[in-house]
Amino acid sequence: MSLQAIRQDGVSASADQGSLLLSLDPWLVVPAVSLLMLGLVMVGSASISMAEQKTGQPFYFLIRQSIYVCMGLGLAWGVWYLPMRLWQAAGPYLIMASVLLLLLLFVPGLGREVNGSLRWLALGPINLQVSEVVKLFVVVYLAGYLLRHNEAVRNQAGGFLRPLALMVILSMLLLLEPDFGAVCVMMAIAMGMMWLGGARLLQFFLLGLGMLGMLGMLAVAAPYRMARLTTFLNPWADPFDSGFQLTQALIAFGRGEWLGVGLGSSVQKLFYLPEAHTDFLFAVIAEELGLVAAVLVIILFLVIVLRALYIGQRAEKQEELFMAYMAYGLGIWIGLQAFINIGVNMGVLPTKGLTLPLMSYGGSSMMVMCVAMALLLRIEYETRTGSVRRDSVVRVSRRGRTGHV
Amino acid sequence: MNKHSAGNQPVRPFRLGVVVVLVLTAALLLLWRSVDLDVLRKDFLQHQGDARYLRVMPIAAHRGMILDRNGEPLAISTPVDSVWVQPKDFIRAHEQWPRIARLLKMKVSDLEREVLPRRKREFVYIKRHIVPHLAAEVMALEIPGVSLRREYQRYYPTGEVAAHVLGFTNVDDVGQEGMELAWNSWLQGVPGSQRVLKDRLGRVVKHIELIRKAHPGKDLVLSLDRRLQYLAYRELKRMVIKQNARSASAVILDSRTGEVLAMVNQPSYNPNDRDQLRGANYRNRAVTDVFEPGSTAKPFTVAAALESGKYTPQTLIDTTPGVFRIGRYLIHDARDYGLISVSTVIQKSSNVGASKIALSLDPDRLWRAYARVGFGETTGSGFPGEVSGVFTRSHPWPAVERASLAYGYGVSVTALQLARAYMVLANDGRELPVRFLPPSADDAVLRGKQVMPVNIARAVRRMMERVVEKGGTGTRAAIPGYRVAGKTGTMKKAVGGGYSDDRYVSVFAGMAPASNPRLVMVVVVNEPRNGVYYGGLVAAPVFARVMSGALRLLNIPPDDVSSQPVTLAALSIARAGGPP
Repeated sequence: MSLQAIRQDGVSASADQGSLLLSLDPWLVVPAVSLLMLGLVMVGSASISMAEQKTGQPFYFLIRQSIYVCMGLGLAWGVWYLPMRLWQAAGPYLIMASVLLLLLLFVPGLGREVNGSLRWLALGPINLQVSEVVKLFVVVYLAGYLLRHNEAVRNQAGGFLRPLALMVILSMLLLLEPDFGAVCVMMAIAMGMMWLGGARLLQFFLLGLGMLGMLGMLAVAAPYRMARLTTFLNPWADPFDSGFQLTQALIAFGRGEWLGVGLGSSVQKLFYLPEAHTDFLFAVIAEELGLVAAVLVIILFLVIVLRALYIGQRAEKQEELFMAYMAYGLGIWIGLQAFINIGVNMGVLPTKGLTLPLMSYGGSSMMVMCVAMALLLRIEYETRTGSVRRDSVVRVSRRGRTGHV
Repeated sequence: MNKHSAGNQPVRPFRLGVVVVLVLTAALLLLWRSVDLDVLRKDFLQHQGDARYLRVMPIAAHRGMILDRNGEPLAISTPVDSVWVQPKDFIRAHEQWPRIARLLKMKVSDLEREVLPRRKREFVYIKRHIVPHLAAEVMALEIPGVSLRREYQRYYPTGEVAAHVLGFTNVDDVGQEGMELAWNSWLQGVPGSQRVLKDRLGRVVKHIELIRKAHPGKDLVLSLDRRLQYLAYRELKRMVIKQNARSASAVILDSRTGEVLAMVNQPSYNPNDRDQLRGANYRNRAVTDVFEPGSTAKPFTVAAALESGKYTPQTLIDTTPGVFRIGRYLIHDARDYGLISVSTVIQKSSNVGASKIALSLDPDRLWRAYARVGFGETTGSGFPGEVSGVFTRSHPWPAVERASLAYGYGVSVTALQLARAYMVLANDGRELPVRFLPPSADDAVLRGKQVMPVNIARAVRRMMERVVEKGGTGTRAAIPGYRVAGKTGTMKKAVGGGYSDDRYVSVFAGMAPASNPRLVMVVVVNEPRNGVYYGGLVAAPVFARVMSGALRLLNIPPDDVSSQPVTLAALSIARAGGPP
């Protein structure tokens, strides 16, 4: 018996026993769970004073984030049992759902406006941040599209432009909210996936130029975006107004030094740093736990991204192109969003309202990111188990369901 | 279904390579930036952080108490709160102003006048010194920008009784008058400061370091006796009302130490009520207002006479016909006393007799007799604003000036100076500086300086005892059970170009018990306006009432058994011892 056969047997056997954890890829699970737990602790620490001030309950945000994490893990657990081919088939429907969800935002009574942005969809007790879901659905759709129209993408302008037109429609809707950050991430994911899907270099560069031009025009047309785009270069020029948030974040880093000021001892979270538990969580991590923790978080994200790319490549070698593009897309998404968020925290990128995946406070982001990780794990599982995939997976998933219900 | 057409070839590894390189570049960028911020630029960033939330806060130090000699409080610092605002936030909450104004009993227009012109400031008081429970109500309004500052306000439990000696502080707790001013640096606390870390809402999160410890002010024990102070104040005020006097002062000194035991004035003021602060009220007249001592100066003329050897208490002087002419000036007696002894000159207060004695003396001896008991110099009490009076002479010294000095004109003193001069007589000729603080046990100053022979001082005291005896001018100063030595004085007030005929100063200066004096007291009543103005009628009764109370309060044994009223105890002894 070859080594691979032993592993496959082991995996299917353990999956049969319902021991899900042993069948998961440690290169994804360990970093993801570490980030999740660290994020939970830091959300609690960063929000404690603000929560007490606003709600009278110091653990208000911690409790909610814990619930989100539980919900996210539950959702991920469910998603893990779904074979990838279901997603492959669902792609076009999901993209239609995305458009629908974005339109629903503009139905009075359904869309909720916070800080001047119409981003949340009120669905009973749950508020859904539509852009998070849309990003996921775009990855699924594009992976399917690249599979179905691979030839066209590689050889015809039309094959390249059609999905792009869809992206533009989604972007317009996102900009109406407005959610500039989501547009950037979505477009970058699309470009990354197309690039890996084999789009022609010339098209690619033309598109790239066009996009840059569009971004530039947007920034000029909306001056507050222009201001946002430029202040990060020198936040100290106006540290009490436009550079306020960023200077406070930078101070947090400086205070952290090597080992940080200690868990719970952040001063910046005491109302100096706005959004300490959401967009600027990383700064609080750097302040309380220092350079060591900051480096650790960056490396953990790096591991996840490289692993996703590795899984994608493995799937490509197995000619499972849908899964390959999915893995690439998810990897790029997680990596890009982490990069932008951390970059914003450190003042190397203009300020964007983007969450730190798996860490920042926020239910929609948390659940969508858990699903994304579950998808990566599923792809890893399906590509690892290789030839026995179709039979065993169906068996496993069926037994898994009956076993757990 | 996942088997695909031939078109699905894997992409060239180079495309994935580009992505991996981009990912690694991004990660390296973030890692480098982490090191840059966390380590390389930490000093700059930490400095920026410190500038934002490290603040120096004062630690209030309360002012020391002022106590009387028995440890009774005379001035206390009580904690109060002052309301201040940060104009920026406070102006934004303009619609809430009527609520805070109502609570602080202010008008909204008052607030506007205080705050609006100072909108660029960071700190504006809107109400100083309110009681803590009102301050708590103000904070309960939760109006943005409003804060409290703990301060201390002076409270004087004795009110107007000791107001002049104690003085008062201003709103910033700095002494302005009296002992509060003289001992300000002793009493005043030195506020400390500490570095604290504040959150963005201005709340103190952490104490970083103590920059300077707060040193509360030290307590000050005065020589005053609160009981004597009350007594003297009550009796003086009663007399001022009765005689419709313009003003009055009384001073009690401990003759063995020079301590001021009581010092009161009329009119007075309540130092707890700042509306009463007017110069005429808060002036400590006993040290700032001078008068011509008049007949109360005669004992010093007589002392000089006895010292010269030319006179004894029994030496006879012819005062007939009760008028004595020197050049164009006429010196009058109340009536023609005829041929009287030196002792009787004091008892009857003969101006003619005193003048004749003075003219027979060497001018320098006469001068020294006054200078050595402190005429023309301050008492050394250190009381702020104390004056030295006027005591000058020209060379040669005209006879008329020497004659008028003999009965206390042409010279001026304060009540305290006169008391100090009498202390020399009380002390068997030893001169002591006046003090407002109790002496320490080994105080060398207490030994004093012998400026007058012991026997002379005793002889003069003996003569002064006759003043309060039958036939003297000051019989109303007599105290049953105690021998009292004293001297009355009734002076016409100097007005422009001469002396007034209807404005007088009534004085009594004396000591008790005369056999071994413990207390010296001077009572000065300025301009009694109800027709009675003799020192023996206006000032002497105050002396008697206050001094008798003071002697008993201080447990000073009586020295005049003969005049002691028959007590129940004495009666019972007599009955028990006598025949049935």
